[in-house]
Amino acid sequence: MMQWLQLKWQVVDSLLPFLLTGLQSTFEISIIAIICGSLLGAVLGILKTLDSTILRIFINTYLHVFRGTPYLVQLYLIYFVLPSLGIAALEFDSFSAAVISLSLYTASYVTAIVASAVHAVPPGQEEAARSCGMSKAQALFYVVVPQALKLTIPPMASVYVIVIKSTAVLSVIGISELTRQGETSILRMPGDTMFIYGLIAALYFAYCYPVLRFASWAESKVGDKAL
Amino acid sequence: MSWLLDIFNFRIVGQYADVFLDGIIATLWISLVCLVLSLFFGVFVALMRMSPIAVVWRIAAAYIQFIRATPLLIQIYLIYYGLPGLIGNFFNETETGIIALTIHTTPYMAEIIRTGILSISHKQTEGAMAVGMSKIQTMYYVILPQAIAKVISPLLGQTVVLLKDTSLLSIIAVFELMGAGLLMFSETVIATESYITTAFCYLTIYLMMLIISGYVQRKLGGANAH
Repeated sequence: MMQWLQLKWQVVDSLLPFLLTGLQSTFEISIIAIICGSLLGAVLGILKTLDSTILRIFINTYLHVFRGTPYLVQLYLIYFVLPSLGIAALEFDSFSAAVISLSLYTASYVTAIVASAVHAVPPGQEEAARSCGMSKAQALFYVVVPQALKLTIPPMASVYVIVIKSTAVLSVIGISELTRQGETSILRMPGDTMFIYGLIAALYFAYCYPVLRFASWAESKVGDKAL
Repeated sequence: MSWLLDIFNFRIVGQYADVFLDGIIATLWISLVCLVLSLFFGVFVALMRMSPIAVVWRIAAAYIQFIRATPLLIQIYLIYYGLPGLIGNFFNETETGIIALTIHTTPYMAEIIRTGILSISHKQTEGAMAVGMSKIQTMYYVILPQAIAKVISPLLGQTVVLLKDTSLLSIIAVFELMGAGLLMFSETVIATESYITTAFCYLTIYLMMLIISGYVQRKLGGANAH
C-alpha cells in the first residue's frame, strides 16, 4: 500500500507542473471566451427584446444554429472550413479559432438568458419610466436592464460551467489545455492512464465546483423568478 | 451549375448520402438508448438524492456533483480506458460510448425529475396513502406521472443536449453522425462539404426535436394548466 502510494506520488510530483500549465491555459481561454461571449450575448439579448422583426429573425437564426449543432462541429467549421474560403482574415490559427468559436458558443447561451431576463422585468417598470419622461433607451438602460441583470446571475454561472467544460474539446485541434497536456503525459507514462485521467478530472472539478456552488447559492438568493 | 459546384460540391455529398444516413440513424439510436437508460436510472438517483438517510443522499449528491463539474470528454476517456480494466473487454466501442453517455446524462435527468417530484403537492401523497397505497405504489402511480408531465420540456431540452453530446463519441471511434463527417473528410479531404453537411444534419435533428417538443408542450399544456 505504502509502496503504491509512493509510486503514485512520484507520478503526481513529476506531472503536476505540466498539468498546471494546462490548467492555466484552460483558465485563460475560458475567461476570454466568457468575457467576450457575455458582452456579445448581452448586446444580442437586449437587441432581441426590441420590436424589430428583422433583428429578431437574424438573432433567432444565430441562436438555433449554435444551439442546434454540437460544439465539436462548430469548432471544426471555424477551424477547418472558414480558412478554406480563401479570405485572409478568416484563416485562424488554432488559438484564435478556439477563442472565437467558444465565444460565439457562450454568446448563444447568454443571449437567451439576457432576453428572457429582460422579459421577466414587469412591464409596469418600463411604463412608469416612460411616463416620467425617459426615452425608450433611457428606460431600458436605467430601469429595465439593471433589474434584469440580477436575474441573469444564477443561469449565467451554470453557462460558465458549461463553457469551462467545453474547453476540453479544444484538445482535438491541438490547444495545449488541460486535457491535451494530460494526453501528452499519458504518452510519457502509458501505465498510469487511468490515474492521470483521474488527476485531470480532479483538476477540472477544482475549477468548476466553486462556480457550480456559486450558481446554486445565487439561485437561493435571487430565487427562481420566472427564469 | 458550375458556380454552385465551386462553392458547395453537392455531387460528392451525394456519394456520401448513405454514410450520412447511417450516421444519423446511429446518432438517433444511441441517443434513444441513452435517453431510456438515463431516465430509468435518473428516477432512482433522484429518489436517492431525496432520501432521508445521510449515506444514501450523500452518495447521490457526490455522483451528481462529480459529473456536473467534469467535462464529458474526460468522463468518456475514464470509462473507455477504465471499464476494460474493471470487467475485461466485454463491450465494444458503441456500447462503451452508450455506457459513458448514460452515466453522464443520468444526473442531469435526476436533477430535473427531482424538481418535478418536489413540485407535486404533498396532498397527493396524503390522498394516495389515505386510499391505502404503499409508498412504492404512491410514487409509481401518483407522484411520478405528474412529476414527469410537469418537467417534460426541460427533459426534452436535456435530450437535445444528449443528441449533441453523442458527437464526442466520435473521438473514441464510435460511428455516428460526426464520425460520418470525419470519414468523408478523411477520404475526400474537402473540409467544407464534409463538415457543413454534418452541421446541416445535426440542425435537421434539432429542428425535428423543436417541433416534437412544441407538440408535446401543446398536448400537455392543456392538462397541466391550473
